[in-house]
Amino acid sequence: MDCYTANWNPLGDSAFYRKYELYSMDWDLKEELRDCLVAAAPYGGPIVLQNRVLDARIFHTEFGSGVAILTGAHRFTLSANVGDLKLRRMPEVPGLQSAPSCWTVLCQDRVAHILLAVGPDLYLLDHAACSAVTPPGLAPGVSSFLQMAVSFTYRHLALFTDTGYIWMGTASLKEKLCEFNCNIRAPPKQMVWCSRPRSKERAVVVAWERRLMVVGDAPESIQFVLDEDSYLVPELDGVRIFSRSTHEFLHEVPAASEEIFKIASMAPGALLLEAQKEYEKESQKADEYLREIQELGQLTQAVQQCIEAAGHEHQPDMQKSLLRAASFGKCFLDRFPPDSFVHMCQDLRVLNAVRDYHIGIPLTYSQYKQLTIQVLLDRLVLRRLYPLAIQICEYLRLPEVQGVSRILAHWACYKVQQKDVSDEDVARAINQKLGDTPGVSYSDIAARAYGCGRTELAIKLLEYEPRSGEQVPLLLKMKRSKLALSKAIESGDTDLVFTVLLHLKNELNRGDFFMTLRNQPMALSLYRQFCKHQELETLKDLYNQDDNHQELGSFHIRASYAAEERIEGRVAALQTAADAFYKAKNEFAAKATEDQMRLLRLQRRLEDELGGQFLDLSLHDTVTTLILGGHNKRAEQLARDFRIPDKRLWWLKLTALADLEDWEELEKFSKSKKSPIGYLPFVEICMKQHNKYEAKKYASRVGPEQKVKALLLVGDVAQAADVAIEHRNEAELSLVLSHCTGATDGATADKIQRARAQAQKK
Amino acid sequence: MAFPHRPDAPELPDFSMLKRLARDQLIYLLEQLPGKKDLFIEADLMSPLDRIANVSILKQHEVDKLYKVENKPALSSNEQLCFLVRPRIKNMRYIASLVNADKLAGRTRKYKVIFSPQKFYACEMVLEEEGIYGDVSCDEWAFSLLPLDVDLLSMELPEFFRDYFLEGDQRWINTVAQALHLLSTLYGPFPNCYGIGRCAKMAYELWRNLEEEEDGETKGRRPEIGHIFLLDRGISVSDVDFVTALCSQVVYEGLVDDTFRIKCGSVDFGPEVTSSDKSLKVLLNAEDKVFNEIRNEHFSNVFGFLSQKARNLQAQYDRRRGMDIKQMKNFVSQELKGLKQEHRLLSLHIGACESIMKKKTKQDFQELIKTEHALLEGFNIRESTSYIEEHIDRQVSPIESLRLMCLLSITENGLIPKDYRSLKTQYLQSYGPEHLLTFSNLRRAGLLTEQAPGDTLTAVESKVSKLVTDKAAGKITDAFSSLAKRSNFRAISKKLNLIPRVDGEYDLKVPRDMAYVFGGAYVPLSCRIIEQVLERRSWQGLDEVVRLLNCSDFAFTDMTKEDKASSESLRLILVVFLGGCTFSEISALRFLGREKGYRFIFLTTAVTNSARLMEAMSEVKA
Repeated sequence: MDCYTANWNPLGDSAFYRKYELYSMDWDLKEELRDCLVAAAPYGGPIVLQNRVLDARIFHTEFGSGVAILTGAHRFTLSANVGDLKLRRMPEVPGLQSAPSCWTVLCQDRVAHILLAVGPDLYLLDHAACSAVTPPGLAPGVSSFLQMAVSFTYRHLALFTDTGYIWMGTASLKEKLCEFNCNIRAPPKQMVWCSRPRSKERAVVVAWERRLMVVGDAPESIQFVLDEDSYLVPELDGVRIFSRSTHEFLHEVPAASEEIFKIASMAPGALLLEAQKEYEKESQKADEYLREIQELGQLTQAVQQCIEAAGHEHQPDMQKSLLRAASFGKCFLDRFPPDSFVHMCQDLRVLNAVRDYHIGIPLTYSQYKQLTIQVLLDRLVLRRLYPLAIQICEYLRLPEVQGVSRILAHWACYKVQQKDVSDEDVARAINQKLGDTPGVSYSDIAARAYGCGRTELAIKLLEYEPRSGEQVPLLLKMKRSKLALSKAIESGDTDLVFTVLLHLKNELNRGDFFMTLRNQPMALSLYRQFCKHQELETLKDLYNQDDNHQELGSFHIRASYAAEERIEGRVAALQTAADAFYKAKNEFAAKATEDQMRLLRLQRRLEDELGGQFLDLSLHDTVTTLILGGHNKRAEQLARDFRIPDKRLWWLKLTALADLEDWEELEKFSKSKKSPIGYLPFVEICMKQHNKYEAKKYASRVGPEQKVKALLLVGDVAQAADVAIEHRNEAELSLVLSHCTGATDGATADKIQRARAQAQKK
Repeated sequence: MAFPHRPDAPELPDFSMLKRLARDQLIYLLEQLPGKKDLFIEADLMSPLDRIANVSILKQHEVDKLYKVENKPALSSNEQLCFLVRPRIKNMRYIASLVNADKLAGRTRKYKVIFSPQKFYACEMVLEEEGIYGDVSCDEWAFSLLPLDVDLLSMELPEFFRDYFLEGDQRWINTVAQALHLLSTLYGPFPNCYGIGRCAKMAYELWRNLEEEEDGETKGRRPEIGHIFLLDRGISVSDVDFVTALCSQVVYEGLVDDTFRIKCGSVDFGPEVTSSDKSLKVLLNAEDKVFNEIRNEHFSNVFGFLSQKARNLQAQYDRRRGMDIKQMKNFVSQELKGLKQEHRLLSLHIGACESIMKKKTKQDFQELIKTEHALLEGFNIRESTSYIEEHIDRQVSPIESLRLMCLLSITENGLIPKDYRSLKTQYLQSYGPEHLLTFSNLRRAGLLTEQAPGDTLTAVESKVSKLVTDKAAGKITDAFSSLAKRSNFRAISKKLNLIPRVDGEYDLKVPRDMAYVFGGAYVPLSCRIIEQVLERRSWQGLDEVVRLLNCSDFAFTDMTKEDKASSESLRLILVVFLGGCTFSEISALRFLGREKGYRFIFLTTAVTNSARLMEAMSEVKA
């Protein structure tokens, strides 16, 4: 127990810092670190060594990672997002003749600034201007700044001066936190912040060639000796230090660990850990410790402390003993929700797996939570550690779409790049492993295969894609347009079909394009619809290609009134239509079209000779107009020429003459021969014009079958009743009866009732 | 007289959520163009938009002036123009003409096109061809379901019918699938699915794909609606189902639709109805208490009901006499408003009835109905044919004549060649030669055909095989050769007992079956099929019917475990009509629901009737 705190170093009164080895470095490094420019990503990220690089700083904002570059001409260029590399040149710094002694990027309010030191002055550079700044409470006598450091969260700033003085304050340069004089005037090799969320004592770590110093708001600093060249990587909750042979982590001891392990700690977690140890020794002291915690009512807190502390331990043994203590304590609690314990066990298992030096991702618990499992999986996938990633997904029971399927898809994308394996084998291997796993897009994998120049493999993979719509874009890209067309049709997405059609239209010559359409009725209908509104000529060509004379005829009919205006043009269009109809063996339509040509010409002549509007009237209306205009002869002629049936002609004339109220002519007409429509219509039409007198004339001529109706129309109920009685027709009787309204018809109604009664007697 | 719901009838889900969703999305889209803007609205979208967001809501989101999209230059002086349109090519050309005119004048403005319910690639193509693709921003307003009433959702896509059933254009099917997907995300999965028809099957499959892609979203939700039934307007390739839509409607709501045209759930009653000099726009739905009681009634009962209602109302008014001051005060503050409202509605509907009566007697409605019934029963074909001929000769109504011709053709399995020619000739003489195209359309859609058995079948067959792949075409040929010569319609109506045998008068006051919606003469085929399938919970035993409908490949059932569905939800049935449904069908199913303790919910691409159907097929000179 005591030896546990051996690597703890107090900083000030309240906080401890500790440094432990993550793993020893097994890399095959030829150069010394000092000869390299070193970059390392946070969250236990990879380390890059380069031996020739411009001076540059990488920074992280909400929008991603940015990069700032100091050019040879002592100008700064900045890009806020390396993913979308848009370089912005910053304004010139007045009087800057040589490289600044040190500089860094500050991120405030989502904007990146550059802070640089030139001699005793500090300048803040933003997109618009360059302004001088002075940190509050800076000790006098500074003639140059040697190092500066921004904290991980960009909230704090530390400055190291040539007097061996360290200023620590907020990054806004508005407030000083503390200062420290280390009395070392040699320029430090590196300076970084070492803090964590809810830190008790923020500290700055300064590294010289062989010395490491941790300073904070305390008169004494912590000092370590460095055996070899080392490099510091600031992290969310500490600092990673690596050298040729080791990789260490320095951080402020987390609160829970401190509570438990502090010497002679009486914190509930410490007592619980002790109790559990005694219990294992089968000592009754266990009970005493436990009772002590319970009396204070702190058992829940004790369990929580142990669980939390376990998370911060690097050594599995220590994790285990803390978790065992938590588990032991849980037994004495009634309702302790199991989630936190279970999740911690799971998380630690994952963390221990990735911390293994074979994998080399030394994440702390806090970093892991900040990073999220999804990003961690992405990192594993990028490093092609597929089996481990899948094991983690399965262990954590992540939903397939986010977990296993995604990783398998990545794996498949990698697999298709293996050029030494045959297309069949790759396709089969992928399908065997992926099967119908939900969330796997075979088309994405196929796209990757195509990207590697393996078209055949891509087509094979697409076969496995269940959603036909997904296959289309890639097929088009691979110039398999006809296949794409059938897949698009299968998908039922008309927009997709249309996209393919336009591709085909540009790719094929017109004839081939039409042939392709011919075999795909759904696509053909779609294209026709488009042409009807946008490309009429193409529509005609389509019909021509298909020898579809019927539609071609219809097309020209439409043109005869929609497109053509001059009469000659219209007649010509109709002639073409008629020819087409003949070819389509639609004699009826052909004849009707020819009739229309005749009618058009005739209407034209009528307009010329008689004036008035005849064009575009129907045959019926043309004749009516003639009669209304008093051109009876012409009307008769037209009726004969166009073989208007008698019945229609009679209706037509009857209506027109009644409209004219030419009763004399109507009567003459009615007597011209026996009416083919009978005389009831005469009665009806006269009544419509409210001429009862004329109507009655015709009522007498109506045949017996319709007599009753006619009499009722002219309002002669009594006579209608007589006729109905004479006919002995029940339907007629009730019809008359229904017309018997008012007092006047009372007698008639009685008469009918009597007749009915009589009929029934018989 | 007005049918009450059975006490155990299930509650309907609340569909007003759909309106809120659509409104929020529209507001979001308008806000994407911050600042003042003028809004150009396509005429067809005006009424639906009005049901979602009124002018004051639009004004709140900085819409300055409203214009109708029409073929006129825009007078707007605003710097930002927003277009709310259906994805149609002619709209794109209109927008292009505006933008290009601005360009010529050296003017730059911001343009935004909002497509409803979705944009089509072809539209973007046209924008590109017209050279303005970069000048406008495009958005989609996925507003595809408008609740017209508590049990009626409409997609307001009347063009669905012509596009699919005439032109073979399938683009709207995806829209339907998406609407169904939306319903299942909002109201839970449907444990039982049934369907019949080619289009229904395609929509169903696309919908299933969508559900699979977003797996898990609806899983575990309790279904609110137990059954969904999808069917095509023209269920079968020989289109016998069109009979329903072609018959004159005699149930009040249908009759109002036939006479005045109900548009987007409301109707414009002209001066002849309002008995004043003004027209009045009236919302027709369950909230109109008077209408709600008569909407499903046969017209012959409506007058009696309304006069009874008037007497009751008068009695309530009369209670005023003999009231003391306190009672009177109570009466005025509490009842009078309701009575006045009822009074207003009552006089409106009485006015509507009178107007309908007047119109119908003028056209000799009885004669017309008699002919229709004769056609349905297959009696006196010659007489009916001459009636139709006279109808054409007298130029009574182009649409009505066309409708009767189609009815004759479908019930008789095509016209005999002589009639086919002469009726067409007469029609062309009456209404002009452009109707050659109308006839060509009707033939293509199978609505008006010639009866040479060999020829007719080949024509229909080739029409069908054009719509399907080669493999399916082979199957269809087999199906055709096995078809007997006799009328398909007769066979089906016999099989399903669509024309009930009645001894004596059919009592329309106390309907016995769904045939009451056509005066006892005919049970709508779609409704009968739904009834039969629901009874069996499958297509089992209906093989013969399915074969007669030529739908062997397109009838489907899909049942999942029902353990999560409450017994109440299992009595709720969503019926999806692809290509439109009529108010008569709605009334018939409402009747069936009352009889069996179900409640039906209707989703249609649009409410239709015979006139709309015929107009969709007609070619008119623009």
